[in-house]
Amino acid sequence: MKKVPISRRRFIQLGAFTGSGFMLGVYPTNWVQAAQELPDDCPYFQPNAYIRIEKNGSITIFVAKQESGQGVNTSLPMIVAEEMEVDFQQVHTEVAPFGSLPAGAHDTGGSQSVPGTYDDLRKAGAIARTMLINAAAQKWQVAPHLCKAEKGAVVHALNGNRLTYGELACDAALLPVPTEVTLKNVKDFNIIGKEQRKRNQKDILTGKAKYGIDLQIPGMAYAVVARCPVRGGSISSVDDSEAKKVPGVLKIVQFEGTGKPMHVHAGVAVIARNVWAAMKARRMLKIVWNEGPNNHESTKDLFQRFEQKSKEAPKQIVHTLGNVAQVTAPAKRSFSAQYAAPFLAHATMEPVNFIAKANAEQCEIWGGLQLPDWAVGEIANSCKLKKENIKVNLALMGGAFGRRLQFDFAIEAVKIAQQFDQAVKVIWDRTDDLRFDNYRPANFHRLQANWDEKGQVQSWQHHVLTTPVAFSTDGPEAKEPAEMLGGASKDFWYDIPNVQTGYTPVEFNIQCGWLRGVEPVVNVFPIECFVDELAQKQKKDPLQFRLSLLEGRPAFSAKFNENWSQPVDPGRLATVLKLAAEKIGWDAPRSKNHFMGIAGHLFFCNSYAAHAIEIEKLGKKHFRLVRIVVAIDCGVVINPDGLRSQMEGGTVFGLGQALRNEITVENSQVVEDSFYAYQLARYNDVPPIEVYTVPSEAAPGGAGEVGVATVAPALCNALAAAGMRPRRLPLQKAGYTWET
Amino acid sequence: MTVFEFWRYTFKSFRLDLPQQAFFPVCRFIMPIFKLLINGESRTVDVEPDMPLLWVLRDELQLTGTKFGCGVASCGACMVLLNDTATRACVTPVQIAEGQAITTIEGLSAKGDHPIQQAWEEINVPQCGYCQSGQMMTLAGLLKANKRPSAAEIRLAMDGVLCRCGTYHRIQQAVQKAIEDYNK
Repeated sequence: MKKVPISRRRFIQLGAFTGSGFMLGVYPTNWVQAAQELPDDCPYFQPNAYIRIEKNGSITIFVAKQESGQGVNTSLPMIVAEEMEVDFQQVHTEVAPFGSLPAGAHDTGGSQSVPGTYDDLRKAGAIARTMLINAAAQKWQVAPHLCKAEKGAVVHALNGNRLTYGELACDAALLPVPTEVTLKNVKDFNIIGKEQRKRNQKDILTGKAKYGIDLQIPGMAYAVVARCPVRGGSISSVDDSEAKKVPGVLKIVQFEGTGKPMHVHAGVAVIARNVWAAMKARRMLKIVWNEGPNNHESTKDLFQRFEQKSKEAPKQIVHTLGNVAQVTAPAKRSFSAQYAAPFLAHATMEPVNFIAKANAEQCEIWGGLQLPDWAVGEIANSCKLKKENIKVNLALMGGAFGRRLQFDFAIEAVKIAQQFDQAVKVIWDRTDDLRFDNYRPANFHRLQANWDEKGQVQSWQHHVLTTPVAFSTDGPEAKEPAEMLGGASKDFWYDIPNVQTGYTPVEFNIQCGWLRGVEPVVNVFPIECFVDELAQKQKKDPLQFRLSLLEGRPAFSAKFNENWSQPVDPGRLATVLKLAAEKIGWDAPRSKNHFMGIAGHLFFCNSYAAHAIEIEKLGKKHFRLVRIVVAIDCGVVINPDGLRSQMEGGTVFGLGQALRNEITVENSQVVEDSFYAYQLARYNDVPPIEVYTVPSEAAPGGAGEVGVATVAPALCNALAAAGMRPRRLPLQKAGYTWET
Repeated sequence: MTVFEFWRYTFKSFRLDLPQQAFFPVCRFIMPIFKLLINGESRTVDVEPDMPLLWVLRDELQLTGTKFGCGVASCGACMVLLNDTATRACVTPVQIAEGQAITTIEGLSAKGDHPIQQAWEEINVPQCGYCQSGQMMTLAGLLKANKRPSAAEIRLAMDGVLCRCGTYHRIQQAVQKAIEDYNK
């Protein structure tokens, strides 16, 4: 696979890996014919890489997407099983081994797992079903339409004869793969749309689930790394004389950093018999770093730079409608505001870790990777290996949220392993994990709007400033750094006749990456706060104000470039806003000191969500979180319980950002070193959460990220209703306190 | 609650009386043998006395159900029971654990059917699942100390375990269910 810069939009293209418009009934030849080489005794039927049916009746469905808590290990096999007509409780599911599918099949992220594979997986299941029916028809010498597939068997429509899939497996294996298949009607679904437990739930509850960090390779040693605290720096000198004396230490190795895309930091690795010895020895290392020229930056200065640049014209104009310059209004019908949010860390509960065994020619790796094909290519480049000599073992992840879209830790582990003769498990402690992350960009926004005497908003301007991910992955010469999805681009959903959005990238020597919700989370906070402020200025109900800008606007297609358009349906956004409002009791009189806020958005995976939050004001900047309601429209729902989990979890993820999360930088080094400093949302931060789903037969959208963006603005809007109007996250930084 | 209060509760409520410097004891050049009683079984390990029980369980004994989340008692992923008291294994040197009855998630029940596990199963709590051993063992310790904890005691105990996937809403429900079933 060629080296590709993975911008957000490029990722989406990769996610739908079969690429070109897929006609119903036509299967892609390049992967379905995963060669079924039959030994003489034919032990199984494998029409494609996703399905295996054994002679003894055992059915296995393979899952390519990586499980990290989002539930793909359950939802994706459900889709295959539906079309296959099997009892979902009877199937085994396994991770599809890396290499059994074309490049990109294992790429997991961007909320693309369900929407990007729904059609392919249905076809895969339908192909198996069709071939099994054909096998039965042949055996019974009847027309296929007289054979019906149900619950793992084919039944003769006239005489009730029955052959199980196991009994038909070897006959089916000899048949040609059909070029056309019929898919089930949504109304006939038995599995999709019904609640399922997570496939690995029992293992999790008994401590048996194995995450990457739990894997043990025979002969393996353990390593922890002292890394140059500044990106781009190098090692000046190392005194490891004391460190070597720690019992259990085997070897201490050094490695240089890399440049883009992953900017591995230069480091010194202590390899030892156990993690504890390695950690103790690391503390004894005396290292002098050459931090390089870019070692003086701070987030304090960055936000000052943001504010200053926000007053200048944006470097790139991204979306224009009408002509904002021609819209003038007096001060009483004009408003401008600025919003800001910090760098954020991924902070997966399973700290970063990776296992590698490598020498100058061969390499084997174990661990979680969300973009394994890209990772393999870059490992090959950085470590002077051939891609085909890198064997990949993908592992269950204890949370990802985009951390493992990046693979700096994998390159690093291979560099260390190449200097050792056994497998090495590189463990990052929580300080490493927080200080050497790929951060969600710090961001700043300036918005401005004018409205007429009737209160109709006539112009809207949004200047977005971030430290773009593309500067990390592609360098400062990145062609398209603009991070404008989520309403700051052509996908802007409010019906305003004159719009201009623009972007200014700002350089900062910190590695940036993709965090759950990516730029919609960044852009929806200011958008949904600002539109709320406009409503407040006009003394209008914030819900009605939004609806007046949505209802009646027809669905449209936001064309970002030649290859990529996003359908935008303001009506669906209006629906989720109304549903959230209804369920929180928006129109009912408020209890004393109770206030509510609302926010809605479209996430680019074709899902729409809104949050409505009720608070009780307890004092100046002190409040109680009473209830959170989230409304979701993601088209066809695969696993309703999984969807609810994602919405609840996304809500807590967004709540943590609203209340607590913040990464600060001084002298180009991340300050936060532990959960005491980088605080996550806690058990006692979470009020009751209710999830409501819009019933829909639209093509399924994704659900992993859509639950995040509207939490912070909904909460800030509730606070605004209570007389406070925070414009900067996290609320803790501005002195807010809360309880539940 | 402030960071300081959280630290104080962590150490006061759920750990044995460890001197602060147990975390950085003097190294020894011989590897002593420790006999540990884990989930009712006697196991022997050859490790430094200051090695945290967490790494002994995970890497020496392959009991990987107890998780590493931070190493500094801030997240709760490593919670085990030491003589029925919820204890953070990441800051418990193995020499302290010798002679104590250690229970890990693997030993919470023989068949995964402890009322806590059953409640977690019924409510479909886990997402990635990484923190859930710590969540369940924390509750197990609480219930060993008090079969009918007050709402405040529950909040205090459970607030000490972090979940990045955000399953708190379901944990709150599962806790209620588990306490009901535990008392049946």
